Amino acid sequence: MTDATFNLQSGADQRAIAALRRKNAVWRRILRDPPAATAALLLFVIVAAAVLAPWIAPFDPYSNNMRLRLCPIGGARCPDFLLGADNQGRDMLSRILFGLRATLGMGVTAVVVGGGLGALIGLSAAYFKRLDQPLMRLIDVLLSFPSILFGLAIAAVLGTGLGSLVIALSVAAVPSIARIARGAAQSIMQQEYMEAGRAVGLGDTALIWRYLALNCWPTILIYMTLQLGQAILLGAALSFLGLGAQPPTAELGSMAADGRKFLSIAPHVSTIPCAAIFLVVLAFNVLGDALRDALDPKLRQ
Amino acid sequence: MARHIAQRLMISLPVLLGVLLIGFLLLQVVPTDPATVVAGPTATRAEVEAIRQQMGLDRPLWVQFAGYLGRVLQLDLGRSMISNRPVVDEIALTFWPTVELMLACLIWAVPLGISLGTLAARRRGTTVDRAIMALSVMGVSVPVFWVGLLLIQYIGGAGLLPFQGRNGPIWTADGFLSIILPAVTLGAVFVGPVARMTRTSLLETLGADYVRTARAKGASDWRVTIRHALRNAMIPVVTLVGLQIGFLLGGSVVTETMFAWPGVGRMAVGAITSSDFPLAQGAILILAVGFMVVNLIVDVLYAYLDPRIARS
Repeated sequence: MTDATFNLQSGADQRAIAALRRKNAVWRRILRDPPAATAALLLFVIVAAAVLAPWIAPFDPYSNNMRLRLCPIGGARCPDFLLGADNQGRDMLSRILFGLRATLGMGVTAVVVGGGLGALIGLSAAYFKRLDQPLMRLIDVLLSFPSILFGLAIAAVLGTGLGSLVIALSVAAVPSIARIARGAAQSIMQQEYMEAGRAVGLGDTALIWRYLALNCWPTILIYMTLQLGQAILLGAALSFLGLGAQPPTAELGSMAADGRKFLSIAPHVSTIPCAAIFLVVLAFNVLGDALRDALDPKLRQ
Repeated sequence: MARHIAQRLMISLPVLLGVLLIGFLLLQVVPTDPATVVAGPTATRAEVEAIRQQMGLDRPLWVQFAGYLGRVLQLDLGRSMISNRPVVDEIALTFWPTVELMLACLIWAVPLGISLGTLAARRRGTTVDRAIMALSVMGVSVPVFWVGLLLIQYIGGAGLLPFQGRNGPIWTADGFLSIILPAVTLGAVFVGPVARMTRTSLLETLGADYVRTARAKGASDWRVTIRHALRNAMIPVVTLVGLQIGFLLGGSVVTETMFAWPGVGRMAVGAITSSDFPLAQGAILILAVGFMVVNLIVDVLYAYLDPRIARS
C-alpha cells in the first residue's frame, strides 16, 4: 500500500517536474528575448504601481488647487508635482497612478469575467459534442458583432459609466476566448488520458476540471493576456468618448479626453495619459506575442 | 457559389435579429412615456390610457417588437428627440461621410501594410524585418485618439491642414484637405495589422512547393515573391482585412468624434451622451447592418478568390 502510494507519487512528481521544466523553459525563452523581458519587467512595475497607488501616490488625485492649474512639468508653481498639474490643478502623477488602477482594473475584470465565461463555453463545446454546434453558432454571432458596437449599445441601454463599460468589455472578450478554448480542448479530448480517466469511472465534472481545464489553461491564459491589451484599448477609447468612466474619476481614457481642450497650452495633460495607455497595451501585446511563440511549437519555427 | 452566399445569409439572420432586438430595447428604456408626450400636458389619465391603447403600448412586448420590425422594414426608425427630424434622414446625411472616411483610410493603409509585410517577409530575420514588426506591434498598441491628438497638436495646430469637420465632398479641394488628417489617424492603426498578416501569410506560401518550382525554373526572387507567393498569400489577407473592418469601425467612431467629422459614429456617440434614444437606436442599427454587409461582401470575395471555400 505504502509502496504503491510512493510509486504513484513519484510518478506524479516526475510529471510535475517535467511540467515545471517546461514552464521554466518558457520563462527562460522570454528572459532571453530582450523585448519580451523588458515588457514583463515594465508590466510588473506598472501593475505594482497600480495596486499600490493609494499608498505611493504623493498627493490626493482629487484635491484641486486652481492656482496650480495647467502647471507644466517642472514648472516653478508646482515644484512638488513631478508630472505637472492638470486643468484643475490636481497632481498628474497621482492621477496617473490612480488612473492606471482604474484602467487596468477595468481591463482585468472584463477579461477575467468575459474570458472565464468564454473558456467555459469553449470547454463545454469541446466536451459535450451535442452542445458544440449550438454554442459555436452563438459564438459566431457574437464574433460577427464589432466590439465597439457592444460598447455603444450597452452604454445606450444601461447608461454611461464604469459599470456598463466593464460589462461591454466582458461581452466583447467572450467569443474569441471561447474559440481558443474550444480549439485547445478539442486537441486535449483526443489524448489517451481522457479516455483513461473515463475508463476508471471519473465523472464529467472531474474530467472537465481536473483533466481538460487544467491542460488547457496555459493556452487560455496567453490569449487572455493578448486580449487584455485590446480590452484596455477599447475601454480607454470608450472612456475617451465619454461613454465610460465619468469625471472626476481618474481613468486614463477620460483624462486624455479632459486634456484635449488644453492641447495647445498644456499638452502634457493629455499626452501623459495617452503615453501610459500606449505603454501598458504595448507591454501586454509584446509579452502576449512572446508567450504565444514560446508555447505554440507550430508557430515557433 | 449561390449556396455559399445563402449559407452566409442564414448566419447573418440571427445577428440581424439580435441587433434589432437591441434597437427595440433602446426604445423601451426611454424615460418618458411616449403616450404622455403625445397626449400633451393637459390630458387626463383616461385620455392618456386611450392613446396608450391606440399606440399599442399596452400590448405584450413581443407584439410590440413585431410592430417595430414592421416599421424598420418600412424604414421608419422614429424621430430624433432633439432635432425632431426623422432618424432615417439623419442617417442619410451621415452615412456617406463615414464611408468616405473609411475608404480614404483603406486606400493608403492597405497598400502600405501589404508592402511593408512583403518587405518584412522577404528580409526575414534582418533588422528591416524586426523594425517593421516593431512598428506594427506599436501600431496595434497605440490608442487611436493619441495619434489624432498628436496630429491635431503638431499639424492642425500649426495651421498646415484643417482638423475641424468636413469642408465638402472628397472630390473638392477643401473636402480633400479636410479628410487628410482623419484618414491618416484612422489608417495609422490599420497599417500594423495588415503588415503583420501579410508577413505571416507570405512566409507560409514562400515555403510552398510551387514557389520552389518557380525558383527552380529560374524566376527572379522578386518575381517569385510577387507573382507566385503574394497572389496566394492575399487570400487570407483579404479575409483578415474584412474581419478587421470591425476594428476600423471602432477607430472611426473615435476619429469622427475627435475631428468633428459628420459621420454615423459621431452621431451615435452624440445621441447616446444626450440620451436621444431613437437616434442612438438608428445609428447603432445602421452601423451593425453596414458591418454585416461588408462582411458578407468580403466573404463572397473570399470564396471567389479561393473556390475551395465555397465547395467545402
